[in-house]
Amino acid sequence: MKVSDILSYSFSAIKLRKLRAGLTTLGVVIGIAAIVALLSITQGLQNTITMQLETGLATNTLIVSAGGGFGAGGQGRASSDFKLQANYTEIIDGLSPDIEMSAAIIQRAGWIESDGRELATAIVGVDFAKYGEIYSSAFVNESGRIPQNTENNMLIIGKRVNDPWKNGTLFCDLNDDVKIIWTNTTTFPIRNETYTGHVVAVLKEVGGFGIGGPSDSSIYIPISQAQSFFGTDECSQIIVKLKNSNKETIDNVSKVITDAFSNQVSVMSATAMLNTLSSVFSVIELFLAGIAAISLLVAGIGIMNIMIVSLMERTREIGILKALGMKGRTVLLIFLFESVIIGLIGSVIGIGSGWGVANLVMIIFSGGGASFGNLRGNQTGSFGMTITPLLTPTVAVLALVFGVGVSVIFAIYPAWRASKLKPVESLRYE
Amino acid sequence: MATVVEAVNLKKTYMLGKVPVEALRGVNLKVETGEFLAVLGPSGSGKSTLLNLIGALDKPTEGTVLIEGVDISRLNDNQLADLRRRIGFVFQFFNLIPRLTARQNVELPMAISGLSKDERRKRAEELLEIVGLKERVNHKPTELSGGEQQRVAIARALANNPSFLLMDEPTGNIDSKAANEIIRLVMRLNKEKGITIIMVTHDQRLASQTERTVQMFDGLIVQEKVN
Repeated sequence: MKVSDILSYSFSAIKLRKLRAGLTTLGVVIGIAAIVALLSITQGLQNTITMQLETGLATNTLIVSAGGGFGAGGQGRASSDFKLQANYTEIIDGLSPDIEMSAAIIQRAGWIESDGRELATAIVGVDFAKYGEIYSSAFVNESGRIPQNTENNMLIIGKRVNDPWKNGTLFCDLNDDVKIIWTNTTTFPIRNETYTGHVVAVLKEVGGFGIGGPSDSSIYIPISQAQSFFGTDECSQIIVKLKNSNKETIDNVSKVITDAFSNQVSVMSATAMLNTLSSVFSVIELFLAGIAAISLLVAGIGIMNIMIVSLMERTREIGILKALGMKGRTVLLIFLFESVIIGLIGSVIGIGSGWGVANLVMIIFSGGGASFGNLRGNQTGSFGMTITPLLTPTVAVLALVFGVGVSVIFAIYPAWRASKLKPVESLRYE
Repeated sequence: MATVVEAVNLKKTYMLGKVPVEALRGVNLKVETGEFLAVLGPSGSGKSTLLNLIGALDKPTEGTVLIEGVDISRLNDNQLADLRRRIGFVFQFFNLIPRLTARQNVELPMAISGLSKDERRKRAEELLEIVGLKERVNHKPTELSGGEQQRVAIARALANNPSFLLMDEPTGNIDSKAANEIIRLVMRLNKEKGITIIMVTHDQRLASQTERTVQMFDGLIVQEKVN
């Protein structure tokens, strides 16, 4: 029997039981849609985060922090009493000719007050000039100017501090005086430290997370002011700008710095961070795909169940076909083709609806717009980023193969049983 | 004349639970090309079992069935399937595929044999014309009467130009008027087209019109008569 005739016979059998075939297909649709939706959201998220990190993190920078820092990608380990001091930048600057400059960051969580309203933010103490040079594409003024000679009350604000609700209703603006507050927990009793800063510049929107690099939801104060305001010389990170972004330079300088501080600091490069992120996302993707695959497994069992019922109903028909000279393997193919048709239709619809669901979820989560943030009450949107679900051809093809594969695998047993039916017994079957 | 079917000391024992049932207890039979043989006998005499063995639908417990000189007990499942394509079956309950039209049912054995769509369509229409169903080619079995369904079944049995036709009580499930038409059709196929027919029947009238009848009882051929 020709393959086209077998296919057409299988199709006619499916058409006869439309509702049942439809429900079986629905199982595959749901399974595949779940996989595609989860994977395209995850990949979209990964893509967005990676892109924004690449924007925020210049590839020729290293981030030095005390202790384990950023984990897997970092080098070195610190004992618990090691403290990264702001003036260590002087040591670092002299460590290698490949180092162009370094800048310390002292950062605390706090909030600001303007016109009786409060906004949670990160207060970041940096050397404006150096920081601006390191992040020349991100630490850029939209209005005002970034001063070269700093005064203690100077304040630079991120775009989301200026316009947290993205609707033109400004929280504070250039030349405003705002109250800067953080809760000092090192004293007893705990007390709120405060001073008034004067906004000298509003940064252009960066859109990134500000790991190491500038963030839209942070405010920037001079490092000397941060030292006195926070009462510490200990810094959170030191950003090191290299003369180039070669892998050898990054590796060499990273080693030189960790050695200089006796392995008590971690040195993270943008590249290593992206790699770490990529491997974290791979695990997340695998995990989510695994969960979604369970629903496909259930669909597979449904297919098997339906095929066995169908086999019983069609025992006599199989007897007739065998009496007419059909071989066992052709009977096997008829049943397998039925599962291929169900798997194929289910997978194609599943991929389409999964993609639709992913987009719908993103629209719902971003509150009608396409951006993803946690803007709420007096909380500024800390991400302020747009996630577009990403469906790569690889994922689409894999989903298709997986959907059809599961359908076929679960149809093998009933198909095999059908192929082994004895003609005489099948013809007698009522 | 050449021998088409030969059964030699044919025995078939079924297990009914744990009890062995001897359906055939040593049947010897020869059918020549162009012959029309009727097999008569009461229920349980082994007629259908004999037909199943001759039709390569089942294998004997003992003895041999030679179809055109080939011992079917030596054939594997695939070879048996190939052999069945050269045998035309007509069953008491028609055994048509309900979702297929009359023409598609007749085309089915040809599709199984790998004939092209055009060839089998043409032949199916010719065959349906021969059995008098030219106007009913696109009707499904449920839209046909019992007699018409049996005629479709006969057309299907003839589709692959079989070496012989095996008919299991072809008039057993249709009214007498339709039965008469079937009898006339079967006689015509034998006389005009020279088709070899082996038919199990209760219909004495039909049996009396065949060239030869064998009477079975209790798994044995007890009487043979040339009409």
